[in-house]
Amino acid sequence: MRSLLKSASIVALVAGLAGPAAAETLGFSWPVNVGPLNPHLYSPNQMFAQVMVFEPLVKYQEDGSLAPWLASAWEISEDGRTYEFTLRDDVTFSNGEPFDAEAVVANFDAILANRERHAWLELTNQIQQVEVIDEHHVRLTLQDSYYPLLQDLSLPRPFRFVAPSQLIDGESAQGITAPIGTGPWVLADTRLGEYDHFVRNEHYWGEKPALEGVNISVIPDPNTRAIAFQTGGIDLIYGVDGPISPDTFQRFEQMGQFTTEVSDPIATQMLAINSQQEATRDQAVREAINHAIDKQTMVDTVFYGTQPTADALFSPTLPYADVPLAPYAFDPELARQLLEGAGWRLGDAEGVRQREGARLSTDLVYVGNDAVSKSMAEIIQADLARVGIETRLIGEEESSVYARQRDGRFGMIFNRTWGAPSDPHAFISSMRVPAHADYQAQLGLDDKADIDAMISDILTTTGEERRRELYTALLTRLHESAIYVPLTYTNAIAVARPELGPIPFGAMASEIPFERIAPQGQ
Amino acid sequence: MASFILRRLLLLPLMLLAASALIFFMLRLGPSDPAMDYLRLSSVPPTPQALEHARIMLGLDKPLLVQYITWLKSALQLDFGVSYATQRPVLPDLLYYLPATLQLAGVALLLTLGISIPLGRWAARHQDEAPDQWVRLIAFIGVSMPNFWLGFLLVLLFSVHLGWLPPMGRGGWAHLVMPAVAIALMSLSINARLLRASMLEVKGQRHVTYARLRGLPERHVERSHVFRNALLPIITAVGMHIGELIGGTLIIESIFGWPGVGRFAVSAIFNRDYPVIQCFTLLMVTIFVVCNLIVDIIYAWADPRIRLSAEGAE
Repeated sequence: MRSLLKSASIVALVAGLAGPAAAETLGFSWPVNVGPLNPHLYSPNQMFAQVMVFEPLVKYQEDGSLAPWLASAWEISEDGRTYEFTLRDDVTFSNGEPFDAEAVVANFDAILANRERHAWLELTNQIQQVEVIDEHHVRLTLQDSYYPLLQDLSLPRPFRFVAPSQLIDGESAQGITAPIGTGPWVLADTRLGEYDHFVRNEHYWGEKPALEGVNISVIPDPNTRAIAFQTGGIDLIYGVDGPISPDTFQRFEQMGQFTTEVSDPIATQMLAINSQQEATRDQAVREAINHAIDKQTMVDTVFYGTQPTADALFSPTLPYADVPLAPYAFDPELARQLLEGAGWRLGDAEGVRQREGARLSTDLVYVGNDAVSKSMAEIIQADLARVGIETRLIGEEESSVYARQRDGRFGMIFNRTWGAPSDPHAFISSMRVPAHADYQAQLGLDDKADIDAMISDILTTTGEERRRELYTALLTRLHESAIYVPLTYTNAIAVARPELGPIPFGAMASEIPFERIAPQGQ
Repeated sequence: MASFILRRLLLLPLMLLAASALIFFMLRLGPSDPAMDYLRLSSVPPTPQALEHARIMLGLDKPLLVQYITWLKSALQLDFGVSYATQRPVLPDLLYYLPATLQLAGVALLLTLGISIPLGRWAARHQDEAPDQWVRLIAFIGVSMPNFWLGFLLVLLFSVHLGWLPPMGRGGWAHLVMPAVAIALMSLSINARLLRASMLEVKGQRHVTYARLRGLPERHVERSHVFRNALLPIITAVGMHIGELIGGTLIIESIFGWPGVGRFAVSAIFNRDYPVIQCFTLLMVTIFVVCNLIVDIIYAWADPRIRLSAEGAE
């Protein structure tokens, strides 16, 4: 390890990437600087870095449960509207300020002063009052019972805590003085366009990180990142959204000299089929599409086997998602039979089916400059052509694709779930919002109103058993409607020098658990 | 001469105005919605309320012309707005990144001149012999190879396989070598061939034959009578190369992780970060116009026919 870090720091010094490189400092890279690290705001604050510095009251666990974190315990009133949190008494901010009930309330006040900005998150709309009970107790009062309260509190933002002295006039909407949190890392140094340097929080209340620091070079280009890793400029590649291309990952895997890991499923990448459009209104057509797409070939050729195929909208590893659903197996013959049975007959020379003079034709919308989406779209087009469905590919700019999602101008569109801890509750919640592809895709279903009512029930019911029943009913209904073609489960990848030991994965997609990386021999 | 410079400088604001209008309206001709881009870059879900809020905040609810005039008014006070992606004022950030780009482009220019001039002279001196063929081959490769591909090949050879040079980042001279070579190769190839052609042309002229008849040594003839006259087209070409070199930094900076204005602009283009793209374009127009002006002044000074006719006219 010593020699690795020594050589790594020499390379870094020579390369000048790492700035103040020191022994036992991990070299990492990110496409942009981490931003001002305001825990209550969004971009340009980078989530993984906000999580390094700021902590939640409760922490999302890998199994989907919520564990005590800055709050050591909590009590929920009978009607589900009042939560009393007991705070840990051994926590201080990295500047020595105490983390107590006053600090919690000051942060909630700052967040709620900017309520409009967080309106997308249901909890901000539900909170009525946050008050100090005593030094280590806080009471949160809601308008209605809202079961995912703890999930929302565990999000990377906005419900995390900065030292109250850093708020500007008690608010954070216009910025904070400095990013002082309670987390295991402290931002030590930043150079615009070059690096951000974090050091271990020596006053951390929990288990202290084994690494002394993390140095994050700004590298936007995936190929440059791969080369920086290969030449020793950085020690770790980690990420969800293609920090390196799948084929580069496979190359590192085959080289055999590095640790390469793939996490459990994080989110689902799927195709949403629009039930409002002429051809895809037909249940049989949607089922046929589900049977006609060869996901395994897609995974093998586009993702080089780095992602598993998906059978359901949510991975069964998620809370409430372990519902017995029969997957739509890849079976082109069955797809053809379904279409024949629904009256779609092969007639014209182009091999496109017709029914009463209407061609079985739809479109597939994807982000045009995303090479991965494009390859997936082409595979789907070819698979569907084999059973007699014509697919027009529409590759457009990202914001045009968003606009089509919002107003339903698509036959089929790529979509993905939001990942832990938003899945499944926040994702199903959004199915009721017209601006989402899911709402538009489902709108042609006869029982769309019932589906929406079921979702509202799930979010407000206080009984665990009842909630589970409702989830099972909802997920079964959505599965049977064949509105979605689940394609793959996305996951995080990690490539590291073997001296770093096994690389742990975060429970949330947006978190990188540097504090749990323990270099071997220590 | 002074009035010539003044006239050219007075043209600059007009050119900036035209460029700003062009880029402003062209960006907005596309199908994409700036409010949507803004929300996406701020990672806020694009609910109808959020979109409405963003439209008002960015002034997108007003007619396009009003938007342009509002933007222009602030721009005249050097306020180019706030980047959608970084939420920071645009101009200070661009100026922060500019020196790194000028350093890279400057070294590339030195490389272009420092290598192309000896190469061109060598090739002209040995017309149709081996050296000329070698220079032709180098120029052929240099002109044909895209700079980003050359960049990757250099990194593979010198960083990954040999380990001699750092693959990315900004630091000492070692960091400059590969990106500067990748940017400069095309310009220096063109320049070397241009100088060769120009020297061969001058060589055939009567004043050169006369110099030889006077019995001057061949080296002196080449230096004082051929080379100096052949340099004039090179000066013009340099004006264009400066644009090429700065344009080259756009992609090369991304590949070599060079913290310059080019890399910043490339991510702004990918993100459709309009305020950054607009300000970047104007900055580039200014640099391009000023560099060309300097080149024209040098040209006028170097060519007595222009200098004297200008003085005679005054």
